[in-house]
Amino acid sequence: MHSLEKFMLRLSEKRTRTLLYQGLLIAFILMFFYIACVNVNNNLAAAGIHIDYGFLFSESGFDVNESLIEYSSESSYIRALFVGFLNTILLSFVCIVGATLLGVAFGVLRASQNWLGSSISFLYIELMRNLPKLLILLTLYILSINSLPHVREAYQFFGVFHLSNRALYFPTLIWQEHMITVFLTCVAALIVVYIYRRYVNHFKDKTGQDLPFLWPSFLFVGFVFFLVSMILGVNYSFDFPALQGFNFAGGGEVSVQFFVLAFTLSIYHGGQIAELVRGGIQSISKGQEEAARAIGLSYLQTMRLVVLPQALRVIIPPIGNQYLNITKNTSIGLAVGFSDLVSVMNTSINQTFRPIELMSVSTLIYLAICLVVSVLINAYNNHTRLEKA
Amino acid sequence: MKSTAKLFAVATALTITASQVQAGAVMDDVKANDEVICLVNPNSPGFSVPDSQGVFQGFNTEFCRMTAAAILGDADKASIRGIGFSDSMKTIVAQKAHMASRSITRTGTRDANPGMSFVVTTFYDGQGFMVPKKLGVKNASELSGATVCAEEGSTTLLNIADWFTDNDMQYKVENINDKSARMQAFFSGKCDVLASDLTALASDRQLAKTPSDYVLLPNIISNEPLTLVARPDTAFETAIFWSFQVMLNAERLGVTSENIDQVVADLDNQPKAVQRLLGSDSAAGEMATALGLVDDWSYQIIKQVGNYGEVYDKHLGSQTALDITRDGTFNALVSNGGLLYPHPIR
Repeated sequence: MHSLEKFMLRLSEKRTRTLLYQGLLIAFILMFFYIACVNVNNNLAAAGIHIDYGFLFSESGFDVNESLIEYSSESSYIRALFVGFLNTILLSFVCIVGATLLGVAFGVLRASQNWLGSSISFLYIELMRNLPKLLILLTLYILSINSLPHVREAYQFFGVFHLSNRALYFPTLIWQEHMITVFLTCVAALIVVYIYRRYVNHFKDKTGQDLPFLWPSFLFVGFVFFLVSMILGVNYSFDFPALQGFNFAGGGEVSVQFFVLAFTLSIYHGGQIAELVRGGIQSISKGQEEAARAIGLSYLQTMRLVVLPQALRVIIPPIGNQYLNITKNTSIGLAVGFSDLVSVMNTSINQTFRPIELMSVSTLIYLAICLVVSVLINAYNNHTRLEKA
Repeated sequence: MKSTAKLFAVATALTITASQVQAGAVMDDVKANDEVICLVNPNSPGFSVPDSQGVFQGFNTEFCRMTAAAILGDADKASIRGIGFSDSMKTIVAQKAHMASRSITRTGTRDANPGMSFVVTTFYDGQGFMVPKKLGVKNASELSGATVCAEEGSTTLLNIADWFTDNDMQYKVENINDKSARMQAFFSGKCDVLASDLTALASDRQLAKTPSDYVLLPNIISNEPLTLVARPDTAFETAIFWSFQVMLNAERLGVTSENIDQVVADLDNQPKAVQRLLGSDSAAGEMATALGLVDDWSYQIIKQVGNYGEVYDKHLGSQTALDITRDGTFNALVSNGGLLYPHPIR
């Protein structure tokens, strides 16, 4: 056979053709990106725009509303972005916890036989699924800043917490040396408690008897705390917020927009997660539940010990998707003045006219956050998966 | 092959095409098309807002009409188009419009762009503060520790930061992107102060339930000379600059759109300056020939558009909802302590 004929014959094999097509596709994609990159680069150079990240270390000149670290208008752009990054992380974490709790509660309620519970849950889920989150956010924001009192007439709780339409003000601990020693000792005490917990479980497995756990643990940790504090002579004093001029001074504060954002994203994504939880529960054979009830487990026990652990396998992958969405959706915070990563990035772009550099940095940061969330979810997914799926 | 062509098309579309900059010929283009394409803000109460017929009305639109009256003899030949801020400058540079009258601040870096020319400042704005009257604050120096609301991402943020740092005062910023959220935050007392350009504050005040409950503080913390922008062309720029001077001179000389016909009918008995402004064989007439304007361009501007004071009163003055004080501010004539200096037409 001639080599050409051989080649044609090869080509008629399905495997060869598939490989060929895939190879071509990859080549096209690579070429596309190559051409796009070269073109963008050439045109930017022609327009006199040079990519340079050096400006990130110069003074930003603007202030942000809230920051977990020291920041002023004299700090650098990179520090401003870091402030935004931390705010995004904090908000995402709070929302993920909130949405999960709401989602599981309403999901279980939705799948239950209780007509009222199921209907309320249905109403909640449909409301959240059919409203745009920005609308929910703006409505709740405008409602809360109008119904909460002005800072001068702030609500007072126990004489130390103050709530106004600006923020919740709370006392903060005044840091003293040796506190870190006390803290580390308490951590060590908690590790001891953890070891004791394992022993309690082990003991129950062996003998079927419960050992006291909760009160001895509390007593032990409390005792360690007081003892070490006394030996080292640590005083615990607090910085109380007090009204001074236009605002509260001293103590710490959490802004109203943070609460509103955390609440909005929690109820919004809680509604989506509830649907996933309901789907997961209903994918478990009815026999499992009936069997559990037959051996005398209560409804909640059936859920916690039998149904949910099995449903988790179905629920985890799509919930991971929700967590990624929550992380990305925190960027709607800029509408109501929360200094998240996108808000800080926008301001920086307007000051420097360096959108390419700033957007690429923000993209990388978001990608990094989301990849970390993904890795955690996948690890948990592998943990809950059946050995042989 | 087909898909390669597609890929190339998409790749090309992704890139930014740098436009060529040419000087001159703008005046010819205006005359050839018999219209002045003029860009304004699509929604800025008092400055440019579309009326019920969709025609833009407002202070800024009058300078589009002024230019059309001077070059084409008919103010209605101004084709006024609403466009966003950064797009307006791009449109001028891309030669898709002749001029922009949309409150663009003249800054050094913008003027350095060869694709557009800043011609003449029509309004001196500046960033200021608005506070509720019941706060009892009379001066921004009393604002130490206050919470300030400002638009997210704007240069306002920079100016506030500079000002409070320079004055060694503490403050807290609420940079809110959504306008209704921002206004609500201010009206509900979540912020003590709203910071923005004075003109913006004047129109924002109208959104309050009782606008008189709020006052503007006298402090102006930044300079915003709002300036007419033209496509670079010496003749065109000169025409715009002197048309604006005609409006200033007319105000100083007391010539209005109402009385101009009487003034012209009795021109010989008018002061020399008025004769030079309106006579056909005078300075104005000479300029018309040299610049290629309609013969009675100064008459047409005043008749169809009015003098500067008339235009100001009509759109921004005390008879309007905006009620932006003019006396004693930068926007008064030099003779009244302002910055508007009528150049001599002779």
